[in-house]
Amino acid sequence: MIKYVVKRLLEMIPIIFALTFVVFTIMYFTPGDPTAVILGNEYTEEASMRIKQELGLDKPFFVQFVRYVGNLIRGDFGMSYITRAPVSEQLIGRFPNTFKVVAGAMLFCVALGVPIGVFSGTKPYSLLSNITMVIGLLGVSLPIFWLGLLLILLFSVKLGWLPSSGIEGFSSLILPSIALGANYMANIMRTTRSSMLEVIRQDYIRTAKAKGVSQRNIVRKHALRNAMMPTITVIGMNIGALLGGVVLTETVFSIPGTGRLLVESINNRDTPSVLGCLVIMAVCVAVSNLIVDLIYAYIDPQIKSQYSGGRG
Amino acid sequence: MTETNAVRKYSTKKEFFKEYKKKSRLQEIWRMFLKNKLAVIGLVIFVIIVLTAIMAPLISDYENDAIKMNVSERLTPPNSQHIFGTDEIGRDIFARIVHGARISLLVGLSSVIIALFIGGIFGAVAGFFGGKVDGIIMRSMDVFLCLPDVLLALAIVAAFGTSLVNMTIAIGLSFTPKFSRVVRSAVMTVRDIEYVEAARAIGATNSRIILQHVLINCIGPIIVQVTLYVANAILTISALSFIGLGIKAPTPEWGNMLASGRAFMRDNAYIVMAPGFAIFITILSLNLLGDGLRDALDPRLKQ
Amino acid sequence: MDAKKVNTQENTLEIKNLEIEYFSDDGIVKAVNGIDIFIKTGKTIGLVGETGAGKTTTALSILNLVPEPQGKIVSGEILLEGKNVLTMNEDELEDIRGDKVAMIFQDPMTSLNPVLTIGDQIAEGLEIHRKISKKESIKQAKEMLELVGIPGDRAGEYPYQFSGGMKQRVVIAIALACSPDLLIADEPTTALDVTIQAQVLMLINELKDKYRMSMLMITHDLGIVAEVCDEVSVIYAGNILEHGNLKDIFDNMLHPYTKGLFDALPDIETRRSELKPIKGLTPDPTNLPSGCPFHPRCDYAMEVCFSVMPGNKWISSTHCVQCHLYKDTDKNML
Repeated sequence: MIKYVVKRLLEMIPIIFALTFVVFTIMYFTPGDPTAVILGNEYTEEASMRIKQELGLDKPFFVQFVRYVGNLIRGDFGMSYITRAPVSEQLIGRFPNTFKVVAGAMLFCVALGVPIGVFSGTKPYSLLSNITMVIGLLGVSLPIFWLGLLLILLFSVKLGWLPSSGIEGFSSLILPSIALGANYMANIMRTTRSSMLEVIRQDYIRTAKAKGVSQRNIVRKHALRNAMMPTITVIGMNIGALLGGVVLTETVFSIPGTGRLLVESINNRDTPSVLGCLVIMAVCVAVSNLIVDLIYAYIDPQIKSQYSGGRG
Repeated sequence: MTETNAVRKYSTKKEFFKEYKKKSRLQEIWRMFLKNKLAVIGLVIFVIIVLTAIMAPLISDYENDAIKMNVSERLTPPNSQHIFGTDEIGRDIFARIVHGARISLLVGLSSVIIALFIGGIFGAVAGFFGGKVDGIIMRSMDVFLCLPDVLLALAIVAAFGTSLVNMTIAIGLSFTPKFSRVVRSAVMTVRDIEYVEAARAIGATNSRIILQHVLINCIGPIIVQVTLYVANAILTISALSFIGLGIKAPTPEWGNMLASGRAFMRDNAYIVMAPGFAIFITILSLNLLGDGLRDALDPRLKQ
Repeated sequence: MDAKKVNTQENTLEIKNLEIEYFSDDGIVKAVNGIDIFIKTGKTIGLVGETGAGKTTTALSILNLVPEPQGKIVSGEILLEGKNVLTMNEDELEDIRGDKVAMIFQDPMTSLNPVLTIGDQIAEGLEIHRKISKKESIKQAKEMLELVGIPGDRAGEYPYQFSGGMKQRVVIAIALACSPDLLIADEPTTALDVTIQAQVLMLINELKDKYRMSMLMITHDLGIVAEVCDEVSVIYAGNILEHGNLKDIFDNMLHPYTKGLFDALPDIETRRSELKPIKGLTPDPTNLPSGCPFHPRCDYAMEVCFSVMPGNKWISSTHCVQCHLYKDTDKNML
């Protein structure tokens, strides 16, 4: 298993490197003079030249890129053009908030989506199953930001139960987690349901039934693990989308997280901060995918035994 | 052969005969599609939305109703004159939604066409030639897949500015890797089927094979993906506009209507209802349509 | 094991007038249309027919496992050692499944759960029916594996680590774990390589004798029937067209369909160069022909065949045929 983890970690490095290159290139070709952003009203030709030299902006593209990556490896994301503080500090300050929201949403999706999906998959003709289908269908089409606004209107404005913004305490996490997670919850629910339906009509389920296994154990012992595989894949694919959606959630609920920082930095033309946010999010996606793959490997004996030194 | 399989096999065998004896394949797909009520509802709603977008100037006047400030009527709740009410500077929300549909559909469709074109070329080449070519193309596409497409679109918009054209390109490019995957796998499934082999054997050139046989035969899954990604693109446009990096006011766009209405929603909840619902119903209709098409094109997937 | 075998019933299994339908998008599929099957204790009956004739459905109905809600047992009785399987509740069914009746499935590649070790899969039935500890059941599972010719220490491996023939041995081990009274083998060798087929068949035959089980052997292969079975029922479109012992069917076949089946076989002795396939296709099960279901393909079809379903005509005490070519009087003529 450790061999597998190391292998996957090593595979991650070139991907993150390549991604940094892509994002860096996009930002490099941004029209406009960054020194104008840095200097603002104090802009003079001389000052501009001086800063360009200081930051190495006068160097060729590849020199700049190599320098950026070199700094990145040491954990240095550069200086913000606006606050003149290290980008890494901003990220450290903001990232935990993003993490909380994403983790909350993840919990919401999985804790609700999987059991409902399993249940309605085993009883495909029940009322609950049909209701699940409808909710699932509507849920995947709900825009995060609109759902967020509706939740605020209902639970904060009308009922006054939950705060509409900020990130103080557990209660402030509930609405953002639901808003961010609803789409993916619906998606996970639908996937689990249909893979459960698919698994339940497999030959090996019939074999188990012919052995006299009870309905409950058919689901628990025979169907669930097989049905979980597509669900885990969907969860893995959704982590990226979840991190994309966090930009919207943080905007709706005024949460000072990485997503908000990204939008602010884009508006301020603060290239190092934009780069920093994108790189951090890409790393998050890569790490989450790794975790999902590890869970997958744990469930699928074929991958597991490949790396545990067993036979086959 | 198990009995259930036999039943399934019979029904496809029957369809097989129907297909070639009585009806063309298209008619058969259409018949399957019509059986799916949800998909038909989706199609009807989407057609209504498209017609609304096309006839927007006939339905309401762009300058007078959708753009011009009208302070005396600001924040009027829905009534017979303004069925969705008016916004914070007195513009008719209904008119803005109708005109907003044009932008959403225009950007949605054109960005997917961009993605399909670029991604399609890469995917078809990768899928058809396989081996090293496939490896190089797909590994580079994988890099992009690591970044959520909203973020990729954001980065592109951040770099090149927020014009309508830039946004279309940004969304198109951010979907490109996904389309290359779809086209690649579609091409790979038909690549080894006998008739392609046969075409090769009689000496048809590679490009002709790709175009004539492969692309024609993988058009089905591509249409499904196009439908679903138009929905995705429309969502992305409104999302970008909502966070202020897309279409800017006063141009009516559903996402920026939500963004500007947000500040007033505490006392005027209706202001965020209609624009949000417009996004929701458009995406829903496309999702229903896409799911229905997928089931109709591949009856085996139906549960 | 022997104590369990004390069985007062002459017949392990009696299927009477069984009718099963499936509901599909294209209409009602009449899969099984009033068949009778009797299996005497310790005997093997072969159920022979083409794909889609209703063989597997019949087999599943004995375990009351016809897939619901598409499939429905419309009428009939299935008496297992005198008790009607179709009126049992879920608990009673779970008790007989795997214990009194076990089934070997056609496709070993898909019949094993990919995420459980084969040891667990064999032990599971033992744990349920023998009420023994997990450890004990695994021990017995290993013995079962040895019995079917797989080293016991491979019990901890997963299905993907085995070849098709080995998997089918595992499936057999699962079925035989609780030494059932009745074994249903649903085309147990169809999915296997020809060289493996004989091995697996021999194994089944050997174990059947060892445990003195009754067996229902479902197949489309007359060679297997000749090797394994005591009696044969020929099934076509959900009807048993002819039934008899091996001699009746192989040497004295009566029904044109049965004859057709034999004519479609290559014959090494006469080295006939041309096979004679049965003309036409199996009927569309959503729209079965009126009268005798075989009449559209039958060379001897008469007017009466188009409208009247022939009943069972007993030719001898062991041999019975459903065909208008034969009259009940034949029985007297003998």
